[in-house]
Amino acid sequence: MAGMQLDKRLSWSGMVLLLLVLYLFLYSPIAYIIYLSFASNTMWPFPWKPTIEAYENLSGNRIYQQALWNSFLLSFGAATLSALFATMGAIALLKYRSRWRGLFGIILISPLFVAELLIGISTLMFNKQVLGLPGNMVSAILANAVHGVAFGFLIMLTQLVRYNWRMDDAAMVFGATPSRVFREITLPIIWPAILGAFLISFLLAFNNLEISFYNLGAIPTLPSVAWGSLRFGVKSELLALTALVNGFVFIVFAILYVFMRTGLVRFGYRGE
Amino acid sequence: MSARGRFSNLFYRPGARFALLALPGVLFVVLFLLIPIIAILIFSFWRTESYELHADWNVNNYAEVLGDGSYMVFLLRSFLTALIVSVVCLVYSWPVAYFIAKLGGRYRLLLILALAAPFFTGIILRLAALQAIMGPLGIVNMFMMDLGMEPIKFIMYTKVATGIGLFYLYAPFMVVALYLSLLNFNFRLLDVAKVNGAKPWRGFLEITWPLNWAGTAIGFILVFIPCLASSVTPHFLGGANGALYGLVLGEQFAETGTWAKGSAMGVILFIASFIVILIMWRTVNLRRSGFTGAGM
Amino acid sequence: MADVAIKIEGATRRFGSVTAVDQVTVEIEQDEFFALLGPSGSGKTTLLRIIAGLEIPDEGRVLINGEDVTHLPPYARGVGMVFQDFLLFPHKTVGENITFPLKMQGENKAHQAERLDWIVQLLRIDGLEKRYPSQLSGGQQQRVALARGLISRPVLLLLDEPLANLDRELRKEMEVEVRRYQIELGIPFVYVTHNQEEALTMSDRIAVMNEGKFDQIAPKLDIYTKPATPFVASFVGHSNRIDARIGSVNGGLARIDWNGLPLIVSCPADAGDGDNISYFIKCEHIEIQPDGSSVADSNENQLAGTLRDVIFKGQTADYIVVLENETEIVITDASGIPQVKAGDRVIVSWPAEAGNCFSADHV
Repeated sequence: MAGMQLDKRLSWSGMVLLLLVLYLFLYSPIAYIIYLSFASNTMWPFPWKPTIEAYENLSGNRIYQQALWNSFLLSFGAATLSALFATMGAIALLKYRSRWRGLFGIILISPLFVAELLIGISTLMFNKQVLGLPGNMVSAILANAVHGVAFGFLIMLTQLVRYNWRMDDAAMVFGATPSRVFREITLPIIWPAILGAFLISFLLAFNNLEISFYNLGAIPTLPSVAWGSLRFGVKSELLALTALVNGFVFIVFAILYVFMRTGLVRFGYRGE
Repeated sequence: MSARGRFSNLFYRPGARFALLALPGVLFVVLFLLIPIIAILIFSFWRTESYELHADWNVNNYAEVLGDGSYMVFLLRSFLTALIVSVVCLVYSWPVAYFIAKLGGRYRLLLILALAAPFFTGIILRLAALQAIMGPLGIVNMFMMDLGMEPIKFIMYTKVATGIGLFYLYAPFMVVALYLSLLNFNFRLLDVAKVNGAKPWRGFLEITWPLNWAGTAIGFILVFIPCLASSVTPHFLGGANGALYGLVLGEQFAETGTWAKGSAMGVILFIASFIVILIMWRTVNLRRSGFTGAGM
Repeated sequence: MADVAIKIEGATRRFGSVTAVDQVTVEIEQDEFFALLGPSGSGKTTLLRIIAGLEIPDEGRVLINGEDVTHLPPYARGVGMVFQDFLLFPHKTVGENITFPLKMQGENKAHQAERLDWIVQLLRIDGLEKRYPSQLSGGQQQRVALARGLISRPVLLLLDEPLANLDRELRKEMEVEVRRYQIELGIPFVYVTHNQEEALTMSDRIAVMNEGKFDQIAPKLDIYTKPATPFVASFVGHSNRIDARIGSVNGGLARIDWNGLPLIVSCPADAGDGDNISYFIKCEHIEIQPDGSSVADSNENQLAGTLRDVIFKGQTADYIVVLENETEIVITDASGIPQVKAGDRVIVSWPAEAGNCFSADHV
């Protein structure tokens, strides 16, 4: 018995160690960048001499501002489409029986399994040759939306699986028309899930390079400007940008965490 | 009884309501994913001349890509890299996901979200961060030089660096996929195995692994596909000899303007990905039919 | 003469190759507590959903107060419904849940509040209006569901096994209460259940449903004492089933041979010699006495056997007796009859008219 306890203890510690190493690996670059963004000497930032010069440079940089606006526009458009189609698709598949369920489900998930690069170049070619459109914001929004729909769909599926559709039946017996049912019953319960799908799609589009790059041509987005900056060595604005974007992502995930913790949204998380 | 309500025929056709809700999304994906892929399939048989596509049906592009050694080398290199990175991800992610799912308790959500979050900061910023640590002017090497030691060569501008970078980028995918699978896994089945005399390792092989194979396969694919197609990562971390297929593919569109050849490369990439997905799909179905290799 | 509130004519609903509801016709009266009794899969829930409008029958009509509502969507029918799993809206308070039907009808807030007050008093859940369903006990949730069904004084209330999720004590209490509400409000209740005791306690009339069809619609006493089919006989009450062949018929009584034991039973009018029959005798109609004691003459059927087991059930007990033809028969009687215990030789007896006989071709 004592031997088994030791075994258990060892494997437990082993797994914890692996987990910690992974966190370290994932976060130390980010942590370091944040640290660097406040450093006066980016080559060798020790000892600690903080300054906000990088952030000042960033806020004054016109190109970055333009890029920020574009990224925001792109992400908002893509996320709206993604959340809309993902929600509709998830409700359709979970609420109704149809022999097309399987096929439709596979189609909606399929973008997950297509490399971003492929999405980028194929939509570029399609827009250019077939639709005759040069790189523009609309095609980038659509391409990112396709990418985001798959993620959103998955998220909505995991959330809605627990929704009791018979409540909709009950509401209808009590006088609610289908649209009223959605407004009064369904939406108030599932809105955090929809918001979650929206936020995730937003982040994906906001930070996406490979899809947007090919579809936007000369229009700058934050990732493409960052790319340009990276090619010529890490400039201070890039450091500040990285820190800010990470902060932004962190905030979004904090929101999602609060949603899930307070039981509004599930993700398969069974509380407590 | 007030509000009579319209005689809504739509209500009584669940088939119609299903279609109304599901079709927009499905058509959207078909239109903006499937059709563009078909488009490049078509273009791959055409010809580029001075930045213009000409509908000159031919198979030269394929002959060039498949026949020329260097393209195939890139493809093979990408394939091997993707394979190695995916396997490493798999091996590493299992204990991590297992721990969080089974022993995470109240902190499960926090732990998994913390793992997933970095992924969403975007490829460029993550690579920038990696460079800051691993690069020639990165903290690791500066530290080594400070101590008077040689900078660690292999963590920058090598295939290993690319591999590390890819792992860094896509490991969260695998962990989350496995985690979601393990969440729905009934750990008490292991107790049953134990009671029937199975040692821990045996229990894992016979019970845990097969029942979570679908999640493992999905995670594997989610890592493999982006790795196979990676273009930005080798650009920054791979160095002169680290060119990968995706990188060369991207060049056809961004730099050399050889759309037709690029399309052909894209088609090949798609087919390669599809084959891998198909293989994994087959293994998932085989397992579910009871074929676990352990008989029964 | 009460008017007919609900009329169903030839309703049929198929799901693929399964016919859930098969040419069902019934009339339910205005002040009636009508039970739909049957095993799971008999189609009773589907029939209820057809009345509610959640399903459309493939054939047939539904009329509520004379109006054909067959193709009317549920939100236009004005019925109330109570569900087995309550189906309370988790994101609304108890008060909001209950007033939901009124809100859908567009009633103003003052009226909603007035009605809410009335119904929570009636169902004794006043004080809970601001709570959320998850904070209530099962019994309280069920009352809230009831309140929601009744607040708009609907033309009828449909109840789908509403007490099935409550524990036994609570169920007994609620059976009486639900019946009381029906009488007080004067609305027809259509009550679906697989629990025959519930149906017998609460209803006026019972329809026994089997594989999509009504085997019998009758006042509850008749269902119990004069079952129309073998299925009803076996489903309602606890009976012993005896399959045998008629030896001879004489004026309403038949001599049958039960694996060697002779019995005299009342038989259907058209029964003839040599017919195969199924005979049901309720366990509580059989008397059990120790061997040797005198048996009442009116008990034409007297059989000797050995008491194999006594299953104690509180007020009553089941006595399992093995007869000379090696079959077992179950008698339900008061528990603790001192004269008989396991292993004793006993005599079981019952009068000829006590059981129900069906010709085998009837099945």
